[in-house]
Amino acid sequence: MALVVPLGQYVPGTSILHRLDARMKLLLLLAFAIAIFISGWVGLLLFTAAIIGLFVAAEIPVRMAFRGLKPILILLTFTFLANTITFSALPASEVAYAELGPYMVPQSISWIGSFGIKPIGALNGLYFALRIILLVCATSLLTYTTSIVALTDALVTLMRPLAKIKVPVEDIATMFSIALRFIPITAQEAERIMVSQSARGAIFNQGGPYKRVKAWFPVMVPLFVSLFRRADEIAGAMETRCYIGKGRTHLRQHKLNEIDLAVGLIGTFTLIIVGILL
Amino acid sequence: MLSFEHVSYRYPGAADLALEDVSFTVSPGEHVVLLGANGSGKSTIAKLTNGLLLPNEGEIRVGDMTTAQKATIRKLRSHVGVVVQDPDNQIISTTVLDELAFGPENLGLEREDILNRIQKAISALGLEGFEERDPNSLSGGEKQRVVIAGMLAMNPTYMVFDEPTSRLDRKGRAEVRNAINNLNASGHGILHITHDLTFCREAHKILVLKGGCLVYAGHPGSLLNNDQLLGAFGLKVDSNQQRSQISGNSGLLDTLRPVTAPDRRSNRGGVFPSLYLNNVHFTYGENTAYEQEVLKGVNLDVGPGSYTLISGQTGSGKSTLLRVLAGLLKPHMGTATFSDGSKIFPSAVGIVFQNPESQIFAQTVEDEIAFGPKNLGLLPSKEVRGNIVREALDAVGLDPKAFFSRSPFTLSGGEMHRVAIASILAMRPTFLLLDEPTAGLDAMGRAFIHNMIEQMVHATTGVIVVSHEVEEFEPRVQAHLVLREGRLWRL
Repeated sequence: MALVVPLGQYVPGTSILHRLDARMKLLLLLAFAIAIFISGWVGLLLFTAAIIGLFVAAEIPVRMAFRGLKPILILLTFTFLANTITFSALPASEVAYAELGPYMVPQSISWIGSFGIKPIGALNGLYFALRIILLVCATSLLTYTTSIVALTDALVTLMRPLAKIKVPVEDIATMFSIALRFIPITAQEAERIMVSQSARGAIFNQGGPYKRVKAWFPVMVPLFVSLFRRADEIAGAMETRCYIGKGRTHLRQHKLNEIDLAVGLIGTFTLIIVGILL
Repeated sequence: MLSFEHVSYRYPGAADLALEDVSFTVSPGEHVVLLGANGSGKSTIAKLTNGLLLPNEGEIRVGDMTTAQKATIRKLRSHVGVVVQDPDNQIISTTVLDELAFGPENLGLEREDILNRIQKAISALGLEGFEERDPNSLSGGEKQRVVIAGMLAMNPTYMVFDEPTSRLDRKGRAEVRNAINNLNASGHGILHITHDLTFCREAHKILVLKGGCLVYAGHPGSLLNNDQLLGAFGLKVDSNQQRSQISGNSGLLDTLRPVTAPDRRSNRGGVFPSLYLNNVHFTYGENTAYEQEVLKGVNLDVGPGSYTLISGQTGSGKSTLLRVLAGLLKPHMGTATFSDGSKIFPSAVGIVFQNPESQIFAQTVEDEIAFGPKNLGLLPSKEVRGNIVREALDAVGLDPKAFFSRSPFTLSGGEMHRVAIASILAMRPTFLLLDEPTAGLDAMGRAFIHNMIEQMVHATTGVIVVSHEVEEFEPRVQAHLVLREGRLWRL
């Protein structure tokens, strides 16, 4: 009895974000990425508020937004520090002042000798870090509210025009579908083989690197044997149903409804305008 | 008409013919069952019917087309649907609806046509409400029905089935059997390839394949009543074995009594302690949204030299219980130990999983069988190693001289199966657990399993079989327990 844990990070729901067409969500994500890179401070703060609002609207706990940030924590810290720290700070008596809105701030503050910080740099670092944070959160929002099936479907439909320049879009779509279907099955199979080899006394996590790699042979060999057999049978099942890479028709037409279209286009327009103006 | 005309086939690189001069026909509306033991060439026939393999001699005709004509092969394939053993390898989409649409889409049909065909296929196979389901979430029987529906959406005249039920449980088997009979009733020509005699009842014609040759063609009655003939074809081995009537009688389940916690002092005196489970609980995905308690207080006391059957429906937690018994999963509550309190470890409890041949990896049969004993440190010298391997091969009825240094991947399916079992026996377990040991096996394979178990029990090894094949094991075991609602019950 194996448990089927769904692929991806999708959190099922019925919010407007969940129901919005995945292609529109991809378009909005693209517009958002552009907008945050052309907008200033005011815009960024507005976007931050908007992202928090969307997490609430989608009924996704905001703490889940931080999950996506963990892997890039080092990058964020580095971005901030690299902009803040300077090795050419001048003594307080010689330092020049710069304008920051209505205030005048020193260009650098010496700490130990020429090692110090740049206040404006720190602000810039924050600005860059916030942009990355916003982009990651927006992407997480997409993957939390869109099933992986809908997402690949959207990517493939968006790719379809490329068929005109001889990109094998149909084959790529079929490959996506087969991959999505067989990743969980293969994972289960690997687990099953691991358990049966453990029952024969195999130990996977002891000894040096060479021993560890060698310990995986009794799992990898049967897994590959089975994968090749599977591939053969899948190919047979596809041929049996007359599969061809082009000239197929499609049951799902993926027509956009008015709401999807309106939300997508107005959203994109607003994002870009806010980005330019603020 | 679908016809084989003097068809011979040899796999590339093989010495012998897989099929030799095979001729037969299937008409629309006809139900033909093709019987044959494992390795008789049955599956080769299925692959030849729609041109996945092409014959070396002779031809396969469907109407006025042959499988050798490239120009019409797609049209031919839309007339001949083929369904094989493993439903998982025949479903390529992520929803049932997309799967059913796959064939018609390949034929380049208009949307309306596709929808029509899907609707018909759905109602023919009773798949209403499954449209947006993920195939991975379906039972084996449901998956196989999706596969059949997917073929049906191609509008075939003939349907070829190659062991479509051998991976399914009782319920799934009944579903698929029903589906096949319904297809036949609606006018499809059926070619059902199997080693299971129970499918012969509804057939109009029986064919028997042995060693690649067609050795019998005729009415079901004259074959099924002739045990001698069935024996000669390798389709029936133990004709005098009594079959129990217990299955399918749901009233019996009312008499279930729970298995109570074992009394430690009841240890049956022998040298070896018994296998002892006390109030075992097991939960998957603890503290997640997928949390599911599978075992809810299992008690068990099995001594050496005993033979126990544990049955239960698919999803009742049988596999989990087996893993706990083999010491591969730790119970979250309760104890799983030997009755003297010592821990369960591999070698003391050997486990033969379903399709054990899928764990084979080594370069020689010797290495494969020695893998377990070596991991357990049971091989102090080369001599001992040789002896253990030879003994294990003997126990599964394979000649040590002939198999010792062969690559396991060059063996036949049946031989691989035996080598895999030998690799468990070589650890000399005091208890042997078997998970659905007869699944997918023909009469010969089943007889081998029963023989082997008898010998083990005789040699004071405790054997536990987990299976839904109640009729097959019930007459042979000493005790039959049922796993239900996460607990074990005595009949």
